[in-house]
Amino acid sequence: MPIQTTYTEQELIALLQQKSREGFNYVYKQYSAALFGIIKKVVADENTAQDVLQEAFVKIYKNVEKYDATKGRLYTWMLNIARNTAIDKLRSKGEVMQGKIQKGDDIVYGSEHEQQTEQATDTIGLRKIVDELDPQYKTIVELAYFKGFTLNEIAKSTETPLGTVKTRMRKAINVLRKHYSS
Amino acid sequence: MNVKEYIESGILEAYALGALSEQERAQVEADIAMYPELADELTAIEQSLAQLANEHAQKPPAFLQDQIWNAIDGGIDDTSGGTPTRNIPVSPQAPQSAARQVSWVRAAMWAAILVSVATNFILLSQRNETREQFTAKVDSMAIQQQQLTDIVVSVRAERDMIADPATIKVEMGSLKEGKTMSSTIFWNKEKNEAYLALNNMPAAPEGKQYQLWILQDGTPVSMGVIPDEMVVEKGMMKVNASIPNGQAFAISLEQDGGSETPTDVQILGAVSS
Repeated sequence: MPIQTTYTEQELIALLQQKSREGFNYVYKQYSAALFGIIKKVVADENTAQDVLQEAFVKIYKNVEKYDATKGRLYTWMLNIARNTAIDKLRSKGEVMQGKIQKGDDIVYGSEHEQQTEQATDTIGLRKIVDELDPQYKTIVELAYFKGFTLNEIAKSTETPLGTVKTRMRKAINVLRKHYSS
Repeated sequence: MNVKEYIESGILEAYALGALSEQERAQVEADIAMYPELADELTAIEQSLAQLANEHAQKPPAFLQDQIWNAIDGGIDDTSGGTPTRNIPVSPQAPQSAARQVSWVRAAMWAAILVSVATNFILLSQRNETREQFTAKVDSMAIQQQQLTDIVVSVRAERDMIADPATIKVEMGSLKEGKTMSSTIFWNKEKNEAYLALNNMPAAPEGKQYQLWILQDGTPVSMGVIPDEMVVEKGMMKVNASIPNGQAFAISLEQDGGSETPTDVQILGAVSS
């Protein structure tokens, strides 16, 4: 009977460095769904998302020495690698870039539609957050986190002053924080 | 530095969302290293994003686990993505060819970076342009839509008016030999409303304007002048005067602005009793 082991972050880092198959299986089991989820939010296409997940894991293994625990949790670090790899993929393909524009506009002009699909696919918990989030906040979070827009790009594309974009980011994250602490 | 203001500004959220430039990111990291309060705040922010990621979690297909492990174990370059990879043993390379390959790889990387930067720049400007065009189009469509709505509203009012059994139709015909001209009046006595349809009227000559009249017991009473564009468009207009009674309608040609009494009647139509 297999024994369910849990590891601390330090142990996990060691496992990654050793490149043991067991370590990989554990990390994969723990994190692949979260990484794949965020990747799919960025690139949408299933096959592309699978490629990106593979690239992200390869990067995680290659760069684990560079991980700096003082700069944040391992999980956050891995999420950022997955997200950045997905966004790089989005940018590396002209037609996908077009897709990103499309999505940007969707978010800006079609938040109703967006809400519908999310209600169809997401958990009750998330639906609640989506409901709680003012569309203008949601737009900003999605543009930045899932589409890789910079502050400047968001300010320009939503015709909102830079400072306002930042404070809206804060308000949006505050809603998430309140939601998760309750 | 005012830590509270710094936190309230939302820059840490922007950092966690990955929305900062390289330079700004480095600055935030330096600030965090100096102020533990900022680090705590950032941890809380990242925590909420991690939970958001948990809620978005999606199990990748089962076959990927082996495929990815092979990619890691085989040390396959992370730029190779795309096609499914197999763990193919690679024979060790001779040292000098490795050196040559490094310079090749470096050159290829630089080329790729340059192409990528240029492409991004072009795409970004294209995107901005597209967005501007899009916004302009949305605006003009909104205006058109408003215009169409206005037209629909007035057409509907006209239709209702014409369909009303209380509405009578008065055809006005030409009084001028050799000039075919006609217009129609739809007159609803109950509602005290009338519409004038300018079916076939030549444009009024320079300095002249058409004027509508109703004959009440032999006396012409002005119903107002007719705008030139209505004549040109062969349009339909609501008569802006109340018409209590009358036996005939007429349109005359007058000096710009209209006259007290008709000078040159063009078309005339009697109300059938």
